[in-house]
Amino acid sequence: MSYQFDWTPIWQNRQLIADGLLTTILLSLAGLVLALCLGLIVGTLGASRSRAGRLVAGVFVECMRNVPLLIHMYFWYMALAFLRLPPFLCAVLGLTFYSSAYVAEVVRAGIGGISRGQTQAAEASGLRPWQVRLLVIYPQALRNIAPSLASLSSQLIKDSSLASVIAVAELTYQAGSIEGQTFRTFEVYITIALLYLALVTLVTRGLMSIPGLREPPAVAKVSDV
Amino acid sequence: MNSLPLISLDHVSKSYGANPVLRDCSLKVAPGEIVVVCGPSGSGKSTLIKTINGLEPYQSGTIMFEGKVVGARSTDLPAVRARIGMVFQSFELYPHMTALKNVMLAQTHVLKRSSEEARARSLELLAKVGLSERAHAYPANLSGGQQQRVAIARALALDPIAMLFDEPTSALDPEMINEVLDVMVSLAREGMTMVVVTHEMGFARRVASRVVFMDEGRIVEDRPSAQFFEAPDTERARAFLSKIIAH
Amino acid sequence: MFDVILANMPFLLEGLRMTLLLAVIGILGGTILGLVLAILRYRRVPVLGALAALYIETVRGIPLLVMLLICFFALPALFSYRTTAFAAASLGFSLFIASYLAEEFRSGLRAVRPGLTQAGLATGLRPGQVFRLIVLPQAIRRAIPPLFSQYVRLLKFTSVASVIGVRELTGSALLVNARDFQPVIILGCVALTYLVVCSLLSFVGRLLYARLAIRS
Repeated sequence: MSYQFDWTPIWQNRQLIADGLLTTILLSLAGLVLALCLGLIVGTLGASRSRAGRLVAGVFVECMRNVPLLIHMYFWYMALAFLRLPPFLCAVLGLTFYSSAYVAEVVRAGIGGISRGQTQAAEASGLRPWQVRLLVIYPQALRNIAPSLASLSSQLIKDSSLASVIAVAELTYQAGSIEGQTFRTFEVYITIALLYLALVTLVTRGLMSIPGLREPPAVAKVSDV
Repeated sequence: MNSLPLISLDHVSKSYGANPVLRDCSLKVAPGEIVVVCGPSGSGKSTLIKTINGLEPYQSGTIMFEGKVVGARSTDLPAVRARIGMVFQSFELYPHMTALKNVMLAQTHVLKRSSEEARARSLELLAKVGLSERAHAYPANLSGGQQQRVAIARALALDPIAMLFDEPTSALDPEMINEVLDVMVSLAREGMTMVVVTHEMGFARRVASRVVFMDEGRIVEDRPSAQFFEAPDTERARAFLSKIIAH
Repeated sequence: MFDVILANMPFLLEGLRMTLLLAVIGILGGTILGLVLAILRYRRVPVLGALAALYIETVRGIPLLVMLLICFFALPALFSYRTTAFAAASLGFSLFIASYLAEEFRSGLRAVRPGLTQAGLATGLRPGQVFRLIVLPQAIRRAIPPLFSQYVRLLKFTSVASVIGVRELTGSALLVNARDFQPVIILGCVALTYLVVCSLLSFVGRLLYARLAIRS
């Protein structure tokens, strides 16, 4: 190995890296919140008693998750260029639609894992359907699917690196630009790899330590997607 | 007993951490003997029977099979196990193989029989347990009683000189218990040496040469079966018998 | 309307061929490496088992794109060798997906009942034989559905190779678009192609599982 390590350019560019990291966090957060909302709606539809609802949810899920995330991003960025959306928003939308399909599947399985008896018992006590969902079904389902949602969140953070291809100045993008200026190839990519690793580990641990999510799932864990 | 013991346990003790499961157990089984081991749950019966073929290690004492010390470094444990057949409470058939393949596996991989030879022997044994037609069925498609009979055929496939049964009928629905016991009785009639952990006292009465009663990891009684059923020595054995026979 | 697709059909088909080739290489390489890692970790092989665990946990925390950039830029710089975008992508996909496949294999291994191991040992099989003949075949069967969902993931991920300049389906489509600029049609057709190919792969997985499933 004749490679001469030189970490000073990394330190000199720490501001760029920090900016990139912040953008990555904001991007992931926005994508995650929207994907959870959309996924919750589609997943609930997929677990509903209505055949049409299940069909619509199924088609949405298959179409969204069987198309690469990169294509999602290019679609908002190039195919819908006339909307003149800023790249950051394109990346958020791409992440949202792609990840919501995964969230929907987890939610659907989570709701499906709650016994019919629970719904019947809640309805029998006079609760309205929306109350049954909000007060009885979702809280139980959430506890069961928390590990899967945590792993989807870490997936989403990693996926956000693809925003670099549509010129969002997040962590991977900044790495590319620092590499272009300094040629410290190895140091740059190892640094951001470790930053992603740290971020993903922190988020997964953090999510699992939220009180109420820690209890062991009552049913078998929804398989990771 | 005039012949040398085939199986002998000499002051065997075992514990999980601070929990003793076997305390100073001694037992001898001569060729052709049928020993039934009974006792309340948690008394160490299953552990005792699994120490004989080395599935459960033990901490002190000595277990010998055919003059070889089970668990000693110099003893080839797989070779010892190949001489002893074992039948488990929950059958433990390999779910990814047909009944026939279950019976063939150890023949081809342990005894190195050719696959034609193993197949012929397996079909013979499946016929013996009354399951010729089900040879190509997967375990999931067999009833519990059928699965257990396949498991017996699998154990017999190595032509063992002794058989260990660990509660072979406990996981079965009542109507299937007899089909398994019938196979075991006919095996006993052929002179197979057997150690059977079971609560089937009717079986014990019919075929056992001796009954061993265990409680809290100890062998409390070890007597010829007629004597045991007539008048158990200890209060605990009497209480146990009255409980299970009352039903 | 679809003129742009028809006119560039051979070029796009060549891209599709490249996509499939990358996926096959990644699936084969990743499956072999993943199985080895899973076995090392599951059987707690001294040193190697811990290294396998470290590898799996580290790679699962890194984005695929970063993995490809490491394989394309960083590793060749560090060990001073020449590579091509295609070779780097093949290496990157295999190394990346192996860490996910390893965990799927390992949960398959852990789902095999311990009683079956005892049953195998009781018939005189050696521990290695029990693992190879009884535990592993069942673990693999159980793992088929999650393995195939990882394979589908990998198939979609091959599009990322376009970023380091591999002319697979996405890369080719971007080139066509750069010349003819019809993003809606081009990206739409590419999306549809991925949809079809991914669905086919899922279907193969379900078929295989239906044939080999262990019903119990």
